[in-house]
Amino acid sequence: MGRREIHLRLNGRDRRALVEDQVLLIELVRSLGLVGTKLSCDMQVCGACTVLLDGRPVSSCTTLAIEADGKPVETIEGLADGTKLHPLQEAFIDHFAFQCGYCTPGMIVSAKALLDEHPAPDAAEVRHWMEGNICRCTGYQTIVDAVLDAADQLRSVS
Amino acid sequence: MELRQRFGEDAAIYAGGTEILLAMKLGVARWPHLIDVKPIASLGEISATKDTLRIGATATHWTIERHALVARVLPALTRLEANVANVRVRAAGTLAGNLAFAEPHADPPALLIALGARVVLEGSAGSRSLPVAELITGMYETAIAADEIIVAIEIPLPAQDARATYVKFQILERPSVGVAAVATVRDGRFVGAPTMVVGAVDEMARSVPTVQFAGADARDARTREALAEAARAAVEPTADLAGSVDYKRHLVGVFAQRAVASLLAQAS
Amino acid sequence: MSVEHRVAGTPARRVDGIAKVTGAARFTVDLSVPGMAYASVVRSTRAHARIASIDRAAAAASPGVLRVLTGEDLLAAGLTPYYGHVVLDHPVLAIERVRFHGEPVALVVAETKREATEAAELVEVAYEELPAVIDAHDALKPDAPILHERRGERVGDEGMDQGEGGLVGNVCAIARVGWGDVEKAFAGAHLVVEGEYRYPMLYGYAMEPYNALALFDQGDLVVYSSAQHVYMVRRDLARMFHLPLARVRVSAPYVGGGYGTKSYTKVEGMTAAAAFFTGRAVKLDLSVEEAILTTRSASARIRARSAFTADGMLLARDFEIVMNSGAYTDNSPLVNSKTANRCFGPYRIPALRVVARSMFTNTVPSSSLRGFGAPQGNIAGELQMDEAAAKLGIDPVELRMRNLVGPGEEFMPGKRPLDADLREDLRCLASALEWPGATVGRSIGLGVSASDAGAYPTSTAAVRIHSDSSVTLFTGSTELGQGSRTVLSQIVAEEMGVPLASVSVVNGDTGVASYERTTGASRTTTITGRAVQEACRDARLRVRGLAAETLGVGVEEIEDTAGGIRAQGRELSYGEVIERWFGAGGEVLGHGAVRRDAGFAQMPPFYEIGCSGLELSVDRETGEVHITKLTTVGDVGFAINPALVHGQDAGAAMMGLGAALHEELVYDGEQLANPNVVDYRVPRFSDVPDQVIHLLAERRDGSGPYGAKGGGEGAGNTIGGSVASALGRLFGVFPHQLPATPERVWRLMREAEKKDRPR
Repeated sequence: MGRREIHLRLNGRDRRALVEDQVLLIELVRSLGLVGTKLSCDMQVCGACTVLLDGRPVSSCTTLAIEADGKPVETIEGLADGTKLHPLQEAFIDHFAFQCGYCTPGMIVSAKALLDEHPAPDAAEVRHWMEGNICRCTGYQTIVDAVLDAADQLRSVS
Repeated sequence: MELRQRFGEDAAIYAGGTEILLAMKLGVARWPHLIDVKPIASLGEISATKDTLRIGATATHWTIERHALVARVLPALTRLEANVANVRVRAAGTLAGNLAFAEPHADPPALLIALGARVVLEGSAGSRSLPVAELITGMYETAIAADEIIVAIEIPLPAQDARATYVKFQILERPSVGVAAVATVRDGRFVGAPTMVVGAVDEMARSVPTVQFAGADARDARTREALAEAARAAVEPTADLAGSVDYKRHLVGVFAQRAVASLLAQAS
Repeated sequence: MSVEHRVAGTPARRVDGIAKVTGAARFTVDLSVPGMAYASVVRSTRAHARIASIDRAAAAASPGVLRVLTGEDLLAAGLTPYYGHVVLDHPVLAIERVRFHGEPVALVVAETKREATEAAELVEVAYEELPAVIDAHDALKPDAPILHERRGERVGDEGMDQGEGGLVGNVCAIARVGWGDVEKAFAGAHLVVEGEYRYPMLYGYAMEPYNALALFDQGDLVVYSSAQHVYMVRRDLARMFHLPLARVRVSAPYVGGGYGTKSYTKVEGMTAAAAFFTGRAVKLDLSVEEAILTTRSASARIRARSAFTADGMLLARDFEIVMNSGAYTDNSPLVNSKTANRCFGPYRIPALRVVARSMFTNTVPSSSLRGFGAPQGNIAGELQMDEAAAKLGIDPVELRMRNLVGPGEEFMPGKRPLDADLREDLRCLASALEWPGATVGRSIGLGVSASDAGAYPTSTAAVRIHSDSSVTLFTGSTELGQGSRTVLSQIVAEEMGVPLASVSVVNGDTGVASYERTTGASRTTTITGRAVQEACRDARLRVRGLAAETLGVGVEEIEDTAGGIRAQGRELSYGEVIERWFGAGGEVLGHGAVRRDAGFAQMPPFYEIGCSGLELSVDRETGEVHITKLTTVGDVGFAINPALVHGQDAGAAMMGLGAALHEELVYDGEQLANPNVVDYRVPRFSDVPDQVIHLLAERRDGSGPYGAKGGGEGAGNTIGGSVASALGRLFGVFPHQLPATPERVWRLMREAEKKDRPR
């Protein structure tokens, strides 16, 4: 397989990368130092590797890096504005919505995609959207609470 | 198309990658070439005439789930799509890819077969149209020739007062039983025979013989039990981690009844 | 006793919060060093076989490959090619023989991960197959194939080794508990409840799979690892390479989930061997499937009998337990012995007999998983309380109340008396669940447990007070997500009287942090917390000494204040005392140690209390169980951080629900049928109960700081039994096997219908 140069907008910055065709998106973002995105199940089940590709949540473990050519990619590292946390990040801290933290980047990125599309979800909608993100530590309830709280915060800001 | 003809079985058509990349990672399949069909914009279109919904091959589950036209003309498909796998698979995976992969534990085939959907294939010999029921020939097996690709799925829309439904039982990552039904129900009775297809439980989706139910009273528990029995008889479940043969057969009956209940609820 | 605290007892935000929500938290798998090579494991495709030959030529010639290693290479180099904290029987790479499907046989080291993985497929191993045994009961049979004709050397200490009496054939471990005349008690009983109970083989699915990065730095072995017990791993590695402990450094940055599954050595030996033979830094990170092939939990089959009087008083209990250890000893002796003394419950039992055997089989080695022994034993012990209640016509809560031991009462001869008020806990639980429940079609199940914490109380800690009065804590305890960095920081802030924001923690690193035996058995807050208190006291003592010298007063004239001292009416901060003593800069170091002495003289150091229950409904057509309500009572003595206690209870209960309803590793012949999380189903968002209530019981009755005692396992221990109990109360037939999958519940309902149908 070949090797090509791709151009992507990674967390709001234009980046160029030379990638082999078979390189996965998770390998690309981690090789660029963005190791917040985590690999776990490697089968699109757990959601730890979730990134936003063109605004949509995808499993970066099962997406080719070349798919990102010409597109915006957002990872957990792109959410905070400098040292100012995104309301979802604040809410995850406030609600103790993580323990080991391994699933958390994917969890927050997935929740961001939800709130981008549905600014006022109810608990059932949060659970349905997040069904494909696994957390082994928290038992999920605090995550639902955090996402709902962040939605409130985001709406009150805008 | 030229690439497809050049590489034949050495290439796989790649759109969302949710199945193909997984299969390659698991080592169950390996293709030297992947042909990306997404850049062909016309393949992603969704349109409808008065009696047919046409879904382009690169339309993702995500797009279909959110498409206002689909929601208006075929809400059963919207609901099905909203519950396929998880949000990330829906965002990347396509309906056509799902059919082409012929994973037996899949949601779409049962409903599409029940609706009489066809796929449009294009190959070196030109274009042809094949019912979904004939497209999938077994577990991970289809009638797609090595030089062909799916370009669209054409779904005949149910008659004005007909209703379609898809109900499923899912505990593991994929459904273990899915039942689709299409019927016109008037005053609680089927107008003509209902159509029922059972998916996800067998090597491929199975149509339930329903001729005898033409005009039957759908509210009558005996009708529903007889339909459930016909559904149970139509399948050859395989025992696996989702359950034994007799449990799965039992579930087929349960979800056949629930499908009828869903049709009745929509009709009222 | 009423004590006012500033920081202890508050839901302080996690000190790792910002790092974990921004993606900045570094896990072992995120680490890399320049020039790092990668390893990939070649695994056995047989369950039991003699290795006839290993042809590594093709792999060695593959692009980028640095070395292809086998167990013979380790032997030839004079290394100790085995590891194990109780019995030295686990080969780093198989030697002569493989004992389970998936066992590491060779290791390929290459420049890139892809090159290593591709070359691993080229290693040709020829096997001469041996008969295999998968089921633990089959392993007991006289004609069963024997896994270990020669036993490994016993290297465990009194904290974990039960000795080798009675270890014949495939018996990996045996444990006996008992007192009184059991047969006589059964003969005189009004009611005897009898049955066989099964608890599944589980995979903990810590989401960061096992991984390590190893290198030799000027002759010292440095290993970064996803391990829970860095000091235990250090011991295995020092033995393997014949290095002094001081020359082995094991460091665990943030660990992506532990739950016991990362206890003891996993991939560190292989990774260090790769570094040793290539002279390179080497990384080995397993896939989830490989992680499943590394460690699982022990399944159990328990034959149990309980004898009662007509008014529901326990007369005797009798348990015969068979567990599945898998191919190597690992932690099975401790798991087995804990099952033996966690099965009968915190009840007054006049006569008891428990015999537990853990059997070697040709399956993935079994080790620790959250609460080990308690969930396995609880399904038998607690369910029989419910079955007896049903037969005697006594309310199951009342039946438990009559038999529970009280606070301060000894229920295992020679062990610490119970440090909890279980009756009061149970009363709270029943009340929160609105026991006995009035909603038609729903059913409540609950249970209690008191686990003798398997936490040998050896712990140390060090604190450094810096010249600006900020404090660094050094602890060997690892941060698995339980929040130890936060809780231990709170203890430091409380003891030193400094703000939480000026406390920093260096942890989980044998090179710089002080000795901690393990991070498991819910020990950290209780035992490490006490060592941290001691270290803080030692540091303050030293500050007083410096102040006395500097100010020229007697030490007895110096009082502690928040963040400093007071003498002769003057207040000085720690920093001021330090700078005055040194003249410029400087710091004070305090050290704390805890051993099996004083408050921890009697074992166990504390009981981990389980008091949880739930309400459920069942889809009568599919058998699918839905949890409508979940309640936990966190009896932790004192919650130093209540939010973290709730988090532990919620997580443990959810993990318990996974095992109760869905999770089970299934062997299909000699291979696992579901070694991945597509087919091994862990709880999801949709499994969150409709209503969740976490209560706290704080009676300051623990042996830890401020009366705290361990939590984190307890809430899950009774969940399996609770689900079985609720189903039994709903249908009149008690399920004896978990998980209660939809199909099993459907079969249970059919069984109940048959029973009800008049003949």
